Amino acid sequence: MNDAKNSIPAELSTPLPSETQPERKLALLEAQTRRHFLLRATGGLGAMFLGTLAPLGLPAAEVSADGPDRIDIRRDPKAPMGVLPPQFAPRAKRVIYLHMAGAPSQLELFEHKPELTRFDGQDCPASLLAGKRFAFLTGVPKLLGSQYPFHQVGQSGQWISDRLPNLEMHIDDLCVIRSMRTDQFNHAPAQLLVQTGNPRIGYPSLGSWVVYGLGTQNQNLPGFIVLISGGNTPDGGKQLWGTGFLPSVYQGVQCRSHGEPVLYLNPPPRVSAPERRRVLDAMEEINQQRYADFGNPETLTRIAQYEMSFRMQMDATDAMDIRKEPDSVRASYGCKLGESSFANNCLVARRLAERGVRFIQLYHWGWDSHGSSARESLNLGFVERCREVDQPIAALLTELKQRGLLEDTLVVWGGEFGRTSMRENRGGQVMKFVGRDHNPGAFTIWMAGGGVKPGMAFGQTDELGYEVVKDLVEVRDLHATMLYLLGFDHNKLNYPFQGLEQKLTGVKPARVVAEVLA
Amino acid sequence: MIASLRSLSERFRFGVILVPLLLLLTTLLLAPPDGIERAPLLQFVGRFHPLSVHFPIAVLLIVPLFEFLGRKRNAPFLLPSVNFLLLLAAVGAILSAALGWCLARGGGYSGPLIRQHMWGGLLVAAASLICWRLRSGDSAAPSRFYLPMLLLAIVLVSFTGYRGGQLAHGETHLTEFLPSPVQRWLGPSSRLTSVSSAGENPSTFYGGRIQPLLEGHCVTCHGRNKHKAGLRLDTYAGVMRGGKHGPVIKPGDSKSSELFRRITLPQNDDDFMPADNKKPLSTSEVKLIGAWIQEGASRTLSAEALAALPANDANRLTTEVTFPDLDPAAVVRDRTVVAPILSRVQLRLPNIVEYESRTSADLVVNASWLGSKFGDDELAELASLSPFVVAADFSGTAITDRSARIIAAMKKLHHLRLAHTAITDSTIAGLGTLDQLESLSVFDTKVSESSLPVFTSLARLRKVYAGGTRIPQDVAAPSQVREKLVF
Repeated sequence: MNDAKNSIPAELSTPLPSETQPERKLALLEAQTRRHFLLRATGGLGAMFLGTLAPLGLPAAEVSADGPDRIDIRRDPKAPMGVLPPQFAPRAKRVIYLHMAGAPSQLELFEHKPELTRFDGQDCPASLLAGKRFAFLTGVPKLLGSQYPFHQVGQSGQWISDRLPNLEMHIDDLCVIRSMRTDQFNHAPAQLLVQTGNPRIGYPSLGSWVVYGLGTQNQNLPGFIVLISGGNTPDGGKQLWGTGFLPSVYQGVQCRSHGEPVLYLNPPPRVSAPERRRVLDAMEEINQQRYADFGNPETLTRIAQYEMSFRMQMDATDAMDIRKEPDSVRASYGCKLGESSFANNCLVARRLAERGVRFIQLYHWGWDSHGSSARESLNLGFVERCREVDQPIAALLTELKQRGLLEDTLVVWGGEFGRTSMRENRGGQVMKFVGRDHNPGAFTIWMAGGGVKPGMAFGQTDELGYEVVKDLVEVRDLHATMLYLLGFDHNKLNYPFQGLEQKLTGVKPARVVAEVLA
Repeated sequence: MIASLRSLSERFRFGVILVPLLLLLTTLLLAPPDGIERAPLLQFVGRFHPLSVHFPIAVLLIVPLFEFLGRKRNAPFLLPSVNFLLLLAAVGAILSAALGWCLARGGGYSGPLIRQHMWGGLLVAAASLICWRLRSGDSAAPSRFYLPMLLLAIVLVSFTGYRGGQLAHGETHLTEFLPSPVQRWLGPSSRLTSVSSAGENPSTFYGGRIQPLLEGHCVTCHGRNKHKAGLRLDTYAGVMRGGKHGPVIKPGDSKSSELFRRITLPQNDDDFMPADNKKPLSTSEVKLIGAWIQEGASRTLSAEALAALPANDANRLTTEVTFPDLDPAAVVRDRTVVAPILSRVQLRLPNIVEYESRTSADLVVNASWLGSKFGDDELAELASLSPFVVAADFSGTAITDRSARIIAAMKKLHHLRLAHTAITDSTIAGLGTLDQLESLSVFDTKVSESSLPVFTSLARLRKVYAGGTRIPQDVAAPSQVREKLVF
């Protein structure tokens, strides 16, 4: 009866996270295929008899829940967002991730490369092009020196360009990682890799993993909130805050930056609150019946989401309402009321952090400085983008610091890849605007707060800023480091799916970058 | 014609077996095992040596039994088969010896053990052959040399088998678990401690801590008798020389050292060492080796220089983080007092108070998300948990100075946030006993300069977030207080 072919796949005989009896039933049923059925049928009555004994003989549930390979993430199914302690004492309790969608040029911001400037306008050496794939570069492009002057700032004496005059005052709070690398050179897959650990869709995002592992304190707000500015959704689409194979309650909730933050939270006109409550109660009853029949955890997710949306009516509107901030605070961010902007979102991010939201994800679109148009160029659009983010980020850091929140809030800034040391020559021609192509070989991110060593630069690229030469940090290493700061061993925060112990960092070994820990 | 052929083969039967024996002898003389690994095919064939070797041993050991029983009254039928058994033993011994040569020549063996085992095997084959020759005339009255020769064959096979066991299972495989009185009686020489490090100074880090590790985990395969991949880890020179693929230690750089890489791979990796499911090194042992390489892989570095390892400060040497181990039983034990109180409070105030981590019995409180719905009455319900709280955030809640006593009772607090609350100096005055406090936020409260002495008195307090309070930014205060204030 324990014959491997006849039994349910091994991964299902260990307890599932958030396991409950109905879910187990569903999992077993889903694992059955026609072949399973036929194989079982061949055993005849004897197998059927033995099969009835199987539940007595298979001590699946006795496997220790907090096992050596997986930490136990089981919750009351009615409170899927309940707080769970991390594996070990955390350095960071919440994350604000500022994703610059489109990939800002590190060579115009944090990477000071005098050699590149010296060779500006000369043909790119063939050795840099051999075996490389580019999105748009063709033939032999010209090297392109940094378009903006650099200077050293702060006690740490780090180099920064003149494009971020407000942020540079916080340079001694930042941990700049110059040696990031990715293996994706198109926006959507690269963004997916940075946000979900995998270039293909269908995997849980960073925020989903964090909320899955830790839950969230404020039960009246989603634990994972996404705010978008810059006029466009990032190329990776909503999968960037998707939940993949994790229960869908852990997906990011995108909130609108003006008007009602979440549509249809408030009851429609002429429907009173008690009436709304009665409708919800009736729906919950039906859903509970459905869950009892089929055991699909998504049903519970749906119940929890209805309940949360009811509770959110007040709190979400309040949390998102930056009119409640004094004028001076709004001015420090550069907010404009009634507008959808990165500045407004940064202020909202601070308000959400104060209200116990676990993971706050901001996207600001428009950094894809190819030089193909005024908006997508280093000499025009890029300047605008820098101006749009510089003051708000600086104000956010200032406010987090003032309140002591920066001690346990991890702020991460970065794009999805870097930009080439060569000027883009789309179609083999000199383009009207100055721009750079995508470079997966090297990019810069920075982190601040939450247990990260302040005022340091880590890693090094070659003299042209083209490839990493020292202290390489892969995207999965960044993820492992972030999870470590939040109190997790990235190997143990995993979820059984498709026969694998799925985890954010994937199957390749990831390293916690110990050098950047405070 | 056929008859004459048969008689010819009868006459030269001995020779038919003697020829391969002589061939084997020549091979052994011309191409002895020299510690260099060779063709995989040779090794593959050689791996059948341990499998086949037990056959001739068993057959040879049966011969005296048959001889003895066959001369008793009730089993004379055993005697005629003895000749055949001896022939079988001889052929089997030659075959296994040939396979043994394949293994030794291909698998990188050398040294006295393998030499003795090899010649022993050859002599066993020769002795069985001679026994067979001596007995094949008349089974009723064998030559008078037969019995001594058989005895010699038995002694030889025992000796060779023992040496083989030492090669496969380690030099002390028989004596290791010998009852200690017997060991003492046999004297120290019987412990076969000859493998231990030749003259390493135990007061050096290498001699005292690294060499014993290598001996315990590595030298059975990378030692005096077997040096797989041409690597010997039984001497310092061998460790530093490396194997056939080059050096295994890169002084000062554990991460690019092959030896370190091999022992830190996932255990199911093909390259993981120790191979073949032998006992892996413990985390602290790995760290010890890593630290030793990182510090230059010196032979003379004193043990005290790295004495603190691996207990603490390991990060200085290897920039790897360690994930704390979780001991569920210990956690349950630590939580015996707090657990029942906590579960009671959690029922009343869900998502407010939780363990700091899965490994700890300390508590973290965060009531800030409840805002004005959390006040002095709610905080009062946490009173019974006060002694266990290490971090608390009451920012933006409706608590007032009435709660001062409960907060002051949180003796283990290292982080406290009271931003945007109605608390005043009188709450701060009570915090003087929180000697663990490191970070305090009174942002946007009515706290004033009169609280400064409290901040001064708390020795561990590093940061006081005092923006938006009545403390002016340019407050006149001693520098040790000024340094703590953040505006």
